[in-house]
Amino acid sequence: MMHKYPKEQRYTLAILQDIQRKYGYISKESMEKLSVYLDIPISRIYSMATFYKALSLQPKGQNIIKVCDGTACHIRSSIAIIEEIEKLLHIKPGETTMDGLFSIETVNCLGSCAIAPVMVINETYYGKVTPILLREILKGYGGTIDEDR
Amino acid sequence: MDIKIDNKICKVEYGEYLLQVARRNNIYIPTLCHSDALPGQASCRICIVEVIENDSSKVVTSCVYPITKEIEVITNSEKINNMRRTLLMLLSMRVPNHEALSRLMVKYSVPAINRFGIDMNEKCILCGLCVKACEEVGQYAISTVNRGITKKVSTPYQEPSVSCIGCGACASVCPTGAIDIFEKESKRFIWNKTFELMQCTRCEEYFITKEQLDYMNERLGYETEVLLCEKCKKNVVSESFKNIVQNL
Ligand code: SF4
Ligand code: FES
Ligand code: FES
Repeated sequence: MMHKYPKEQRYTLAILQDIQRKYGYISKESMEKLSVYLDIPISRIYSMATFYKALSLQPKGQNIIKVCDGTACHIRSSIAIIEEIEKLLHIKPGETTMDGLFSIETVNCLGSCAIAPVMVINETYYGKVTPILLREILKGYGGTIDEDR
Repeated sequence: MDIKIDNKICKVEYGEYLLQVARRNNIYIPTLCHSDALPGQASCRICIVEVIENDSSKVVTSCVYPITKEIEVITNSEKINNMRRTLLMLLSMRVPNHEALSRLMVKYSVPAINRFGIDMNEKCILCGLCVKACEEVGQYAISTVNRGITKKVSTPYQEPSVSCIGCGACASVCPTGAIDIFEKESKRFIWNKTFELMQCTRCEEYFITKEQLDYMNERLGYETEVLLCEKCKKNVVSESFKNIVQNL
């Protein structure tokens, strides 16, 4: 997939983003291939891949939950939402569930402060999220939720 | 061209760096990330000074500030000293136990702060000189990884790097001695990699890694038969010099 880009260093990030999109993470193997293709040291690529939040070295879940913890959402208790997800799915921000279904990330302001607290799953926005609503939403994505909690 | 540094008139060439001129004139400006061998890093900002030009003043980083006009420079104004204090305070929160830094803190009377659970063993100020040194050698074994408070210098995946030749250029250029390098008998350890060392043909001391030697030979384009350590090299030169003088 990198071959559609010219062999120029400035395309490193664009290619890394493509790899991330396609495979959900940047594997060591793909870094090595990219290093050979663009003729840049692997240490440079690794540096980039670990710098950007949008790139991940670990495989991401099928559904990526982004919970906003920006100022407005924080005030409207985004922490409670994050904690609820942690309880329901047993993962913390930055982690992926065992079944590979979900990953959670926190982000800073999604530009929708009016409907805080905000959460995005893949490309869909959910506003004014409450713990009860959250369960329903996650079920909609096939999440196996610990109901006793 | 003349410039004035702390009221002292100094001769300068167009384009010379301010720090260089100050040093030549024995005017003290503190530095951490400046290395004469690898100039231009400019990341610690301790070397800031005030430049006065047409009645207005600005703060510049002296190690990378080229002189193009007849300016006046103040290296220790209240403003500069206060800014340095802030910089030192911030640096000390990352590197709490560092000699040169502690000395500067005493000099500028910056109190030691202990908040935010400081890692007392951290030595790296993230100036990036080591990365630059490794690039200069042409090996690109290390780079800065992550960002924010987890940023650090490392090999990819913290694994022994294939390209590292164990030359130790990174460790020797580091201003804070943050890179672990040590030698035991015929081995050198650095960046999670162990290297076999070769002996000096004369004094038999272990001093160079096999990979380093290959690297040098490749650069030189031929293989050296006798392998001399720095000390012996000097001795050989001075001995042959002595012989020449005696035979005169
Ligand atoms: S290890 Fe040393 S040279 Fe490298 S970034 Fe840290 S302080 Fe600078
Ligand atoms: S702070 Fe969450 S959308 Fe702005
Ligand atoms: S010595 Fe100039 S910025 Fe560090």
